Amino acid sequence: MRPETGRNEPSLFARLARRISVVLGIGAALLVTAAWYYAETAANKAYDRLLVGAALQMAESLSVEDGTLTVRLPTSAFELLGLAERDRIFYRVIDTHGQTLTGYDDLQSPTPLDADNDVSSVEEGIYKGEPVRIARATRVLADPAVSGQAYVIVAQTNEARSALTRELTLRATILVFIMSLLAFVGAMFAIRYALQPVERLGAAVRRRDPHDLTPVSVDVPRELDPFVGSINHFMGRLNERVDLLQRFIADAAHQIRTPLTALSAQIDLLGADKLDKAGRQHYERVRERTGELARLTNQLLSHAMVIHRADSVQLEPISLVDVARRAYRAAIPVTVDPDIVISFEAPDDRPFVLGDAVSLREAIVNVIDNALRHGADQRLEVRVGANAEQAFVEVEDDGPGIPPEGWEKATQRFATSKSHEGSSGLGFAIAQEVASAHGGTLSFRARDERGFTVVLTLPLYKGDAR
Amino acid sequence: MIRTFLAIIIPVLIGTAALAAEDNKTRFPAPQTEAGRLTIYSTTDLAAMKPLIEDFQKASPDVAIDYIEYLTNELNALASEACRKEEPLGDLLLSSSVDQLLKLANDGCAEAHTSLETARVADWANWRDEVFGFTYEPAVFVYNTRLVPPAEVPRTHVELADLLRERLEYYRGRVGTYDIRLSGIGYLLAFNDARQTTTVFGRLLESMARASAVARCCTGEILEEVAKGNLYIGYNMLGSYAYEAALRHPDLRVVVPRDYTLVLSRGALIPKGAKGADLGARFLDYLLSERGQSIARTNAFYFTETGGLPPDVDGPQNLKESGIAQPIRIGPALLAVQDRAQRQRFIEDWSQSLIELNSPAWTRE
Repeated sequence: MRPETGRNEPSLFARLARRISVVLGIGAALLVTAAWYYAETAANKAYDRLLVGAALQMAESLSVEDGTLTVRLPTSAFELLGLAERDRIFYRVIDTHGQTLTGYDDLQSPTPLDADNDVSSVEEGIYKGEPVRIARATRVLADPAVSGQAYVIVAQTNEARSALTRELTLRATILVFIMSLLAFVGAMFAIRYALQPVERLGAAVRRRDPHDLTPVSVDVPRELDPFVGSINHFMGRLNERVDLLQRFIADAAHQIRTPLTALSAQIDLLGADKLDKAGRQHYERVRERTGELARLTNQLLSHAMVIHRADSVQLEPISLVDVARRAYRAAIPVTVDPDIVISFEAPDDRPFVLGDAVSLREAIVNVIDNALRHGADQRLEVRVGANAEQAFVEVEDDGPGIPPEGWEKATQRFATSKSHEGSSGLGFAIAQEVASAHGGTLSFRARDERGFTVVLTLPLYKGDAR
Repeated sequence: MIRTFLAIIIPVLIGTAALAAEDNKTRFPAPQTEAGRLTIYSTTDLAAMKPLIEDFQKASPDVAIDYIEYLTNELNALASEACRKEEPLGDLLLSSSVDQLLKLANDGCAEAHTSLETARVADWANWRDEVFGFTYEPAVFVYNTRLVPPAEVPRTHVELADLLRERLEYYRGRVGTYDIRLSGIGYLLAFNDARQTTTVFGRLLESMARASAVARCCTGEILEEVAKGNLYIGYNMLGSYAYEAALRHPDLRVVVPRDYTLVLSRGALIPKGAKGADLGARFLDYLLSERGQSIARTNAFYFTETGGLPPDVDGPQNLKESGIAQPIRIGPALLAVQDRAQRQRFIEDWSQSLIELNSPAWTRE
């Protein structure tokens, strides 16, 4: 059932796995980006508060002493900023006239100082070539000597912020990665599980006997129903075709048999004695060929019958000895060469098998017939026996037998070990069909000093024989 | 006003520094073939650094060292000017005035350095891996045992203030301390004193002013005067120098105050873009290493963070465990110390209190 042509087409599993990993990958990338964004926002917020706090403290420290604006920068403001351990701090205090009171003269606020400003708004900027966050606080002074607005600008580098952002992002990334991994593994298991019915269906179809054309009955998910329906529909049509073909062969053989019988009778009536020597020779050949044709026709009929019965007849326990004996009688013609010693042996315990008596008899007849026709020189033995598991019928003759390399070919239709004899070769094929229809085998035992043996083995029936 | 002050002071400082440079420069030729020259600008007395430099040269015999000594403020002015012009000053700056080094680092004048040795530095003594504290030096009192009776020896800041008040006539003009206008370290210690206890510091300053305390630029001068007997008590002396002086003058004795003791860590900084930054880093690593620390303990700075006090020092058994040690953290808080408005006002206040008093008679001799 594995399609050889589909090798370049990736499996469903691979397709799903690829698409799911792409989706998960994109999702993870988006999540990590979002995590980074939030981490940066959080880190900025956390440290911006310190910055704003410090700016407010510094603004608070402004006072008017003796008519001049003075600043006593509180150490605590710097300690507050120092919580961002590695960050550099820049500040500038501007008096009401716009003059720098103390700090870094060239530190600028990104927006004009007199612009309305929410004290908690912190801006990005660059100072001394470093990216910084800049906060500013305004102090309104209403002293008679000094009135107006004084400003405090505080800037801080971004190291602690970046470190916190990195740490938060890294942790989030680890989580996202673990989650994605779990999702991926879970999805893979789910896909495997979901695809199991396909495997099962494939296996069921693969395991099937080639002759079994009945509908497939495997429990499959709804999604596979059309597929199973198609298979069954196809099987049904195939079955019809095969039936038709078998019926045609049987009909044809049957139709041929009637004129053939007439032909044989006519040939017998013809009489050989009126012919000259050459004519007699031709007459004999015609008679022989007609006989062969008759046998072939019979075998075709027999084959069609066996196949038909295998499909339609209910198997029942039967005594293999009885069947074999009947076959033995049917197979040995009255005109048998009296020089051949023929014997039949059967055990007393009469092994039973589950089978169709007609088919089995046909099979044994064919094996014995084959032995008579192609094998037996002086001796032919038919033995029935059984062991713990199996019952068997052995047909042994002292003929040349079939060499092991020919065994496989022997059970094929229209094949024979001695092609010049013009055998139909359907005999073993019939026996083989019957054996496998009964769950048994047809095998050969290599020729020894006694002779060559064909063995038909069938499973022993263990239940009560009626 | 502050600008004009700076405008005047900086060229003056640089001018004097340039003149002084030759006098203050000491060359330590490489013991073996010279492979590199390390220039150290420092505020530490050569005597304290010499054992360290010589031991360093034992480990790195191919390095010649130029050791150039300045006062803290001079060094700071030179270094910031150099940084502004992007002409780095030397390969390593050592200054007891860590606030100035921190300001330099904050202005982007420092090169970061990390190594196994810098990883051992305590958190409070390392900022951005740019400024490292490599010593542990308590600010101590010194007194002359011949002139200060045992009963009067001050052991806390309050005791010192009270003593000066009670025995005003005896101690008038006999107490010495840093002139914080000239000495960065004096300013740093005074500022931190003020932060520790506003009231005690105010009282102490007032007492010292009334007692006509003598302000000098450097620890060494005051220690000399105390040893000679011109001064009786030295206030806020660097423990290392004081102990070294005490070793030389049997009359001199060191007191580690028992109420609180400021602890200063001398700072080291590699200037940004220094030509010999790798040599500077090597010397810095040496200073921070076990070997450098042990030489410093025995020969140069005497006090350590973990060990007990050196013998013959009046104070608690173990400075750190006693809980009175107040290390001056090397961190952004020092920027507040370095703020020019802050500094100006603090120095003005201090000067008003202390300097506008008559100089004692013996200083005019």
